[in-house]
Amino acid sequence: MSRALVANLQQLLGRENVCHEQEDLLVLGYDSTPGIHHLPDVAVYPTSTEKVWAAMEIAQQEGLAIVPRGSGSGLSGGSVPAKGGMVLCLNRMNRILEIDEENLTATAQAGVITLDLFNATAAKGLFYPPDPGSQKISTLGGNVMEDAGGLRGLKYGVTRDYVMALKCVLPDGSILTTGGKSVKDVAGYSFKDLLVGSEGTLGIITEVTVKLIPPPKAKRTFLAYFDDIRIAGAAVSKIIAAKIIPSTMEIMDKATINCVEDYVKIGLPRQMAALLLIEVDGHPAMVAEEADSVEAILKAVKATEIHVAKDAEEAGRLAAARRTALSALARVSPTTLLEDATVPRSMLAETFAEIERLTARYRLKVGTFGHAGDGNLHPTVLCDERNSDEMQRAHAFYDDLYAQVLAWGGTVSGEHGIGLAKKEYLARQVGTGGVKVMKRIKDAFDPKGLLNPGKIFDEHDPCTKTHVEEDSLVSH
Amino acid sequence: MSHTDGTHGNFTAQDAPAYEDVLQCMRCGFCLPTCPTYALTGRERSSPRGRVALARAVAEQQLEFTGAVKEEAFFCLDCRACATACPSGVRAGEVMEVCRSQAHHKYPLGHVGKSFREFILQRMLPNPDLLEKSTLPARLYQRFGIQWLVRHSRALKLGPTWLEKAAGMMPDLEAPLRPQLPVVTLARGEKRGRVGFFLGCVMTLMYPNVSRNTVKILAHQGFDVLTPKDAKCCGAPHLSEGDRDTARALALFNLDLFLQQEVEWIVTDCAGCGAALKQYEELLEGQAEYEKLARFRSKLRDISEFLAEVGLRTDELQEVTATVTYHEPCHLCHAQGISRQPRELLKQIPGIELREMNEASWCCGSAATWGLKYSRESQQVLDRKLANVAATGAQLLVTANPGCQLQLSWGLREAGMPQQVVHLMELLGRAIPT
Repeated sequence: MSRALVANLQQLLGRENVCHEQEDLLVLGYDSTPGIHHLPDVAVYPTSTEKVWAAMEIAQQEGLAIVPRGSGSGLSGGSVPAKGGMVLCLNRMNRILEIDEENLTATAQAGVITLDLFNATAAKGLFYPPDPGSQKISTLGGNVMEDAGGLRGLKYGVTRDYVMALKCVLPDGSILTTGGKSVKDVAGYSFKDLLVGSEGTLGIITEVTVKLIPPPKAKRTFLAYFDDIRIAGAAVSKIIAAKIIPSTMEIMDKATINCVEDYVKIGLPRQMAALLLIEVDGHPAMVAEEADSVEAILKAVKATEIHVAKDAEEAGRLAAARRTALSALARVSPTTLLEDATVPRSMLAETFAEIERLTARYRLKVGTFGHAGDGNLHPTVLCDERNSDEMQRAHAFYDDLYAQVLAWGGTVSGEHGIGLAKKEYLARQVGTGGVKVMKRIKDAFDPKGLLNPGKIFDEHDPCTKTHVEEDSLVSH
Repeated sequence: MSHTDGTHGNFTAQDAPAYEDVLQCMRCGFCLPTCPTYALTGRERSSPRGRVALARAVAEQQLEFTGAVKEEAFFCLDCRACATACPSGVRAGEVMEVCRSQAHHKYPLGHVGKSFREFILQRMLPNPDLLEKSTLPARLYQRFGIQWLVRHSRALKLGPTWLEKAAGMMPDLEAPLRPQLPVVTLARGEKRGRVGFFLGCVMTLMYPNVSRNTVKILAHQGFDVLTPKDAKCCGAPHLSEGDRDTARALALFNLDLFLQQEVEWIVTDCAGCGAALKQYEELLEGQAEYEKLARFRSKLRDISEFLAEVGLRTDELQEVTATVTYHEPCHLCHAQGISRQPRELLKQIPGIELREMNEASWCCGSAATWGLKYSRESQQVLDRKLANVAATGAQLLVTANPGCQLQLSWGLREAGMPQQVVHLMELLGRAIPT
């Protein structure tokens, strides 16, 4: 990184908003994906759309890759600067610009923390439903780029379902606002929908306008324990088949229950094979009716125990405990390889059986949790990246599992994105033709290939195995 | 938390962070919203996740133990909020504490700085008599003492305005408590047991009235209180400044001293001391018998932890009418996991109305000498706290640690706010009949 370039950036963005010391660069080379680390050449912290634009102009002139970063809580390597270049840290753009109570929208800068937006809208009696596990940390911009899901995805949908407008800077130097506050909008291609989930490969989002809804008036939260995880899977399928859509239907297996309990100490059942956290919400009359049906189904499938949270505070504690699952699993082993397989919900029990079979076959320790209600599971291999034999078995485990998930019509990523970690699997799911179309779209937006290069697919050949340097570390 | 053998990469072998401890971080970032220095800077390397990543890079020889690593080790408040927030059980604060000691191996101070630091840490603090006779704190007021400290202040890397702040923070000093306190204070009423009281240095020198109340309360609650006069500094300032050798020597001494006493519990009313004493097990691993360390640890309690555990005898308590809010000392809630007990005690004092403040467990910006070294940043952390205190409209601000008490009293005074700061034991003491 030349001194002149750093000086130029400092002049444009302010001295405190440019980092080039090795200690800063070192800690901006990762996100929450295990085993992936690449050093950027420089990092900038723009504080406005115009400064994002200015930084991108310089990167374009210098031929530097541009990698956006929120809080670095991603789980597929999306914000890792795989080819070096400039990391654009958006976490200092953290102002909520407007909560429009007449149109039921909120507009915020990309670096606003998801939970901060939730709280700010809740204070005005409104509700922003998307709640990724990392909502306390994750940024809205990151959520949009990865199309983050969350615990409420089952009933309320994911980030995409709430994005109404985006302000972004495109690689050609244009500042574009796409979408708006109109509920209906079919004017031309839906750029906004193309940008949601694009993992920073098409443009840099600086502002987001989201839809808000009125919050549910009532809630009821169940905790059901099972001595066989397949029964829990069957319970989920039966609840959906009974035409009930709970707001949350989360599962944790025994390994996860124990790790979470080690941390939260709220008396979760350590001996049980699985638990389901189920929440129904809506109008009080409907909640009462649905809660009765859920309870009847849980009894019919012979759940071992059924508990009802006594108040909102207890329900909140249970949801918060569930959100710690992934990080709590890291207590057991130095490396936690997490996956994001999603299957049609009728296949849940079979998926659990398959995970059990593969766990035994590859002699691994696996903790499984996830959003059972939308078929999105996070089987997590608890391993040690220094043990190459174990890492190979973990790789084989995911290979087999994904083959089965795809055969069932599932997807290789429900909510974490492809990033660096799952490029190979993408081609298996959407085919070579599918990847080629994606690449043509990418080329149309970013002909020089400077925006988050190396993500989603490789530039040269969509089907090659990727990132050899991380071969032993990453399940891909 | 530290080890002296095995793989240490670019750390010096003595007191290197254990590699397993840094590997444990899976970088989820749950610590980020709890870290005061990350909140101030938004800079990843000044976050717990970033600091652990730096330590890991040093251990993996991707990075030398550079000046920036040292800077981050000392810029960390060691408030341990990140440890509370970490589902994976990473203790970034303790890793940084170990890195501070690394810093002294790698970047030795010059002669003057070294002798000044040694004078404070190795000669004054370990010696209660010397500390009291020298009346070091009072000397800060004296022209001679101040000039001497100013000349040598670079040794402690204090900020430019530290002296004014330090002088302003000093409470009205009474005579030290240690010489006044009887070795044994007998239980009142039905006797429930015998407690060893660990009287901290800052408590005896600056807050004698707090610890006087603590002993009074323990006696009223039916406990004989034994206060060993030979007890030395707990070692917290040494751990904080990275002098682990002196900390170990002090710990070994206190360990033996208290195990010789016939007491069922060892109690302290200083959160900083409590946190350090509870760290002896790890600090002295391999240097004292495991059985002794476990026995010592099993007896140790913070005063609020102790009273909540044995149950407060409330029948004689007198009414103390006040609205209060409670600031959780980091070294109580994060380092010792004690949050519920002080609130339980507050609610048991007749006439007290507890009004919870927002972010009660967010650091006040004191953090041992941090508040003097980084006085500007400390003010920002303090302002956040004071705003939360003001919003409660409470009359009293209750806390349980002398460092917080110094910082908060000073901050409230400077801000012209009406609240008085009291230690929980001072407040409870007001309810105890004489």
